[in-house]
Amino acid sequence: MTPEVRGRGWLTTRGQAVPALFVGRAGQAGLTIDPGQARSLSALAGDALTVVSSRTRLSPLGPVPITASLLLGGIAPAATGRREPEARLPLEEARRLLALAPGEATGYELRLSDPDRADEVARAAAAAAGLPVTTTTWQQANRPLVLALRLERVVLFATVFLVVVVAGLNLAATSAVLVATRSADAAVLSVLGAAPKAIERVFVAAGLLLGAAGTAAGLLGGAALAVALDRTAAIPLPAQLFSLAHVPFRVEPLDVGAVAVFSLLWSYVAASVPARLAARLPVTEVLRAV
Amino acid sequence: MPSDGAGPLLRAEGLAKGFGPPDQRVQLFSGLDLSLSDGDFVAIVGPSGCGKSTLLHLLAGLEPPDAGRVLVGASDWTALTAEGRASLRGEAIGFVFQFHHLLPELTAEENVALPLLLAGRGEAEARRAARELLVAVGLSGRAGAFPRTLSGGERQRVALARAVVRRPRILLADEPTGSLDAAHAAEVFELLAGVARERSGAALVVTHDPAWAARCSRTLRLVPEGLEEA
Ligand SMILES: Nc1ncnc2c1ncn2[C@@H]1O[C@H](COP(=O)(O)OP(=O)(O)OP(=O)(O)O)[C@@H](O)[C@H]1O
Ligand SMILES: [Mg+2]
Repeated sequence: MTPEVRGRGWLTTRGQAVPALFVGRAGQAGLTIDPGQARSLSALAGDALTVVSSRTRLSPLGPVPITASLLLGGIAPAATGRREPEARLPLEEARRLLALAPGEATGYELRLSDPDRADEVARAAAAAAGLPVTTTTWQQANRPLVLALRLERVVLFATVFLVVVVAGLNLAATSAVLVATRSADAAVLSVLGAAPKAIERVFVAAGLLLGAAGTAAGLLGGAALAVALDRTAAIPLPAQLFSLAHVPFRVEPLDVGAVAVFSLLWSYVAASVPARLAARLPVTEVLRAV
Repeated sequence: MPSDGAGPLLRAEGLAKGFGPPDQRVQLFSGLDLSLSDGDFVAIVGPSGCGKSTLLHLLAGLEPPDAGRVLVGASDWTALTAEGRASLRGEAIGFVFQFHHLLPELTAEENVALPLLLAGRGEAEARRAARELLVAVGLSGRAGAFPRTLSGGERQRVALARAVVRRPRILLADEPTGSLDAAHAAEVFELLAGVARERSGAALVVTHDPAWAARCSRTLRLVPEGLEEA
């Protein structure tokens, strides 16, 4: 848990000024501003910048804004998923700008070992605070991205589903061709005493073998592609909007399992229809035809 | 296995079969009776298209007759389920076709072992039986050969071995030498006769060649009224 101090004000240098959010964090050394702010100010690293707070202090001349002069240490987008650009500065400077006493903070940042429990922790923290506080989880902060990714997942899943269905129909066609080309052999098997069920099993097994090979190839290829796309950060995200630098690809065992199970089930269905036909072929007519 | 002489191995009573719609029906035969006993080696002759193959199919329970019935021992084909027919056929009937109909992906040995495997026998046992039988049909060196590398006569000998590997009571052969030249045909026919005598109870061979027919214990001619002695 780290305290943070947030405030509003302006960044000024050489007569240029932009309104800005500033945030003080422990561990932040010097001033870091957003590339957008840097551009508006024509500021470069090493420039002297003045942060003007919206808080005022009383001076002999009346209330004047509290200011801090800092050297611009770095230009980088904020790590947290804020829509507005943030200027980051040392915690103590931020406290001074907002006239807070040492130890005071406008908020606290919690870093969780299990990010998926953010909602739960936010509720608990709000309850524990005893004061009316607002909580913002990383999901809320990154809402557009989270929604986009969730939508993308749904669409992708639907796409994969359709691909598998179409591949299954293909498999059914392949199995039908197999049954048609090997009907003489099926007839011979039945003359040799193979029960219809046994013949059906042979063709189902052939179809399942094809389906399993296709599923394995698809899953391995897909997983490899996902890992490669993730490693190479192949799809970058606009850094100003999202705290993630690129679209993450993760191979989820559950997803892989679901796709595998569905594909195999569907191969079974696709193969068993032609296989059933093979088991009911009129043996003598097939034998006459060859 | 030859039965204990308690009756015919195969009996057909009043068989009738025809094809086509009622208004242009082609009746092949009707009122056909046949009885095969242990040790019979019967030739069936008749002009092309008279229904010899069809008769074998009826006897093997591959197709139902229009009228009459076929009994294998005491079992009537039509009284059995599909599974029951398959199991009886595997156990009691050996079938040799004009064309060898070997499975191209399997070696000679595997083709011969196939009926045993279909019957649920262990692979080692099935292979051993297949190898022995391949020796008996003179193919000891070709057990591992695939059908496409075998000659026509060799393929037919493998097919013959496959038909008798389960020691069927009844061996049905539909022009087993029809696709072979004279020399190979003689070879295969000799083998068939020998194998039939040794490994099955009764044999019924469809043939066009009077010379082969003469070597059988009986020759029957298929006519529309049934089978008549020739
Ligand atoms: N499933 C069927 N549908 C229609 N006609 C059939 C069918 N099976 C056989 N036939 C007809 O029955 C007749 C007898 O056929 P079958 O094959 O039994 O003759 P075959 O005596 O074996 O002739 P071949 O000596 O040429 O082999 C033929 O005219 C054939 O066209
Ligand atoms: Mg014929």
